[in-house]
Amino acid sequence: MDLFGSFALLLAFVCALYAVAGGIAAILTRKALLIKSARHAGMAVCVLIFVAVGSLVYEFFTDNFSVAYVVAHSNRDLPAFYKISALWAGQEGSLLFWSTLLSVYVFSVLLTYRGKHPELMPYVGVILAGVQLFFLTLNNFVANPFRVLGTAGPGGILQVFTRADGNGLTPLLQYPEMVIHPPNLYAGYTGFTIPFAFALGALLARYPGEKWIHLTRKWTMVAWCFQTLGILMGAHWAYAVLGWGGYWSWDPVENASLMPWLTGTAFLHSVMMQEKRGMMKVWNVWLVFCTFLLCILGTLLTRSGLVSSVHAFAQSSIGSWFVGFLALVVVVCLAAFLKNHDYLRSENRLDSMISRESSFLFNNLILLVACIAVLSGTLFPVLSEWVEGSKISVGPPFFNKVNVPVGLLLLFLTGVGPLLAWRRTSLDSLKRNFAWPALAGLAAGALGYGLGFRDFFSLVCLMLSVFVTLTIAEEFYRGARVMRARTNSNWPSAMIQLSLRNTRRYGGYVVHLGIVMVFIGLAGAAFNQDKQAEMSIGSTMDIGRYHLVLQTMDSQPERNYTSERMMFEVMRGGRPLLMLYPERRFFPSNEQSGTMVAIYSTLREDLYVVYAGRSPETNLPVVHVFLNPLVKWIWLGGLVVVLGTFLALTPSRQPALVLQPATQSAATKGAAQTVPAAVSTYERES
Amino acid sequence: MNAKAKLTVAVCALALAAGGMLLASRSMQAQQNDRAKQIGKRLMCMCGCNQILTACNHVGCQMSAAMLKELNERVARGDSDDLILQSFVQEYGTAVIAEPPTKGFSRIAWFLPSMALGLGLGIVILVIVRWARHPAAKLAAPGVSAERLEQARARADHETEE
Repeated sequence: MDLFGSFALLLAFVCALYAVAGGIAAILTRKALLIKSARHAGMAVCVLIFVAVGSLVYEFFTDNFSVAYVVAHSNRDLPAFYKISALWAGQEGSLLFWSTLLSVYVFSVLLTYRGKHPELMPYVGVILAGVQLFFLTLNNFVANPFRVLGTAGPGGILQVFTRADGNGLTPLLQYPEMVIHPPNLYAGYTGFTIPFAFALGALLARYPGEKWIHLTRKWTMVAWCFQTLGILMGAHWAYAVLGWGGYWSWDPVENASLMPWLTGTAFLHSVMMQEKRGMMKVWNVWLVFCTFLLCILGTLLTRSGLVSSVHAFAQSSIGSWFVGFLALVVVVCLAAFLKNHDYLRSENRLDSMISRESSFLFNNLILLVACIAVLSGTLFPVLSEWVEGSKISVGPPFFNKVNVPVGLLLLFLTGVGPLLAWRRTSLDSLKRNFAWPALAGLAAGALGYGLGFRDFFSLVCLMLSVFVTLTIAEEFYRGARVMRARTNSNWPSAMIQLSLRNTRRYGGYVVHLGIVMVFIGLAGAAFNQDKQAEMSIGSTMDIGRYHLVLQTMDSQPERNYTSERMMFEVMRGGRPLLMLYPERRFFPSNEQSGTMVAIYSTLREDLYVVYAGRSPETNLPVVHVFLNPLVKWIWLGGLVVVLGTFLALTPSRQPALVLQPATQSAATKGAAQTVPAAVSTYERES
Repeated sequence: MNAKAKLTVAVCALALAAGGMLLASRSMQAQQNDRAKQIGKRLMCMCGCNQILTACNHVGCQMSAAMLKELNERVARGDSDDLILQSFVQEYGTAVIAEPPTKGFSRIAWFLPSMALGLGLGIVILVIVRWARHPAAKLAAPGVSAERLEQARARADHETEE
């Protein structure tokens, strides 16, 4: 099967090569048959990559320990569940997985738009195939997952040998979330290739205006949603597995996923200016280019070993390939822009400082500044080493100091932006829309201060969260009030109808609400508490309102590991509340250990208990307990963001005007003519 | 006051003093712990995990336990914050400090985001003010004629009609 997979991968490379060459020939000659064959080659790449992935998964499930990648990331006792996730556990497999997801997107795009947009699609096809070709080059010639273990036999002939068992999967990845987190994140990264291909294709094909945006809006939102989910799942995995009590440590890998998310978010906002007012065309094109480039840069950072990261499982010397590809993409984008930028001329200009357009400009600026801060902080240790020769660290304190104020500015704009009118907002309108939310925000701040909120940024975050929530609620209330008056429906029904009539707008509000919830959760970090102690059976620990008693410990051999488990009785207010079971797992296949954190999560706080190991001096178990307020809001906020995105992706049910024949008067009765006069409203799917 | 009463007073005084000392020592211990935590947040764990010292409890981490022990000892000894940080720099190099110094080349790391924000704000405000002053101005078309642009738009409209 390894030969079969290897051959399929090589064939996919050949097809991608043909899709590029044939596509370019088709653009030059305009021959329909060439266009069709290039498209079919692009679609065949997906099928062939699936054959290759299927082969590799088969190797995992049949424990073929002659394949080096299977040896490195699996063993006989590894549960089937994790044999699938072992696919992306290492460099070679994760790059193949990247190609797989990209090919799914490419296949879907080529299928959806087959026979449509004959000027644009050949360009898009060539760009997509070009990106695929790069990754397939890596898959085939640089990081091939089908390499077999072998030695030079007599006469220099390769002799394949098979190991009795594999090294096993790293314990950090043996966690259910790791089966779904990387696919989500990769689907986000690869998904941004689609708007990139359309933006570059439109520029090359001299498609002015917002047409490419109409075509790619949903693809961009899908990619953005996957990226959001991927980031949040990664944060949750770090929280629940790494056992350090936090969810975000500004690790280069985390930063790499955040940067394209920031520019992607900026694009999703500024795109509205192009759609509504024909503005910011150059800006939007470059935002998409930058988002794609940041996806590639992130991959370079995390795989090349350029910056040190805890995610060391995917490092290698593959960096020069990515540098070359990045340079090529920059050159192509610049050349296309310089040649055809006249077609990106703005159709309108800004009318006022206080308008929806200017709020989008500020929103974009803040998102971009956040991106620059993250990028510069991530790269600065490397830069400093080059310039000064000594390595410095840019750790969480730097990123928090720089990004927390930027984040709060963004939260403020989240509340302000949507309520400003297009073109110009009057002072009266400002007062009407913002007076109550602003007053309520200030009151919340005063109340918070009275209740003991002393951390400045948390207090501001609380005030802004109340402000933004009320502005969103106000928008729903106003719309639903009108809807109720029209349809005589109740409030919930009016809210639902309202949301379904303009899914994009109200979906956006729901996304904003989710972001507010995430911010509330982040603000809770200012009040984290933790305690660490050596504990013997029967000993106790108090943290916040919780009283923990270590009841007993046990050791349990499982199929793939041995577990050492603590059993804590948790009491609150003198009453037993629940049992918590933090554990440590030892994996004999690779002689590594992993933690399983026990968490009691409520909307108010998380009680987070880690079995941190045994003290080398006393051999007593060491327990680290954290009390993290409001963390659950982050995960719930993430869910709300996803729901909002789904709503925004749903087609709106809008009232539309249709013409119907006028009632004929007696004078014209009998005449064959109908007069389009009366107008009626009906609901239609748009 | 008889001898028994004197003894009682002495015992009570001793007990009070012992209690006071115990409380004081506990409070001092708590203060030391807090201080160690605060300093620990300014240091990186050198195991390569990219986390601050007090946050790293990665399984099998060979560095953090030793570093924390050293930190606690120095705090208990009464060393100043600067002295403690300096001693860690001498032992582990400049990379042990969790944020870039605010002097020399490293200052750029601090300035860059605020520079970007300031420059960006300036540009955005300038663009808005300039555009708001000439809202109706017909936009220049240096390379493409209006007719050609309109043709291209019509072609795009035609081809992308669903």
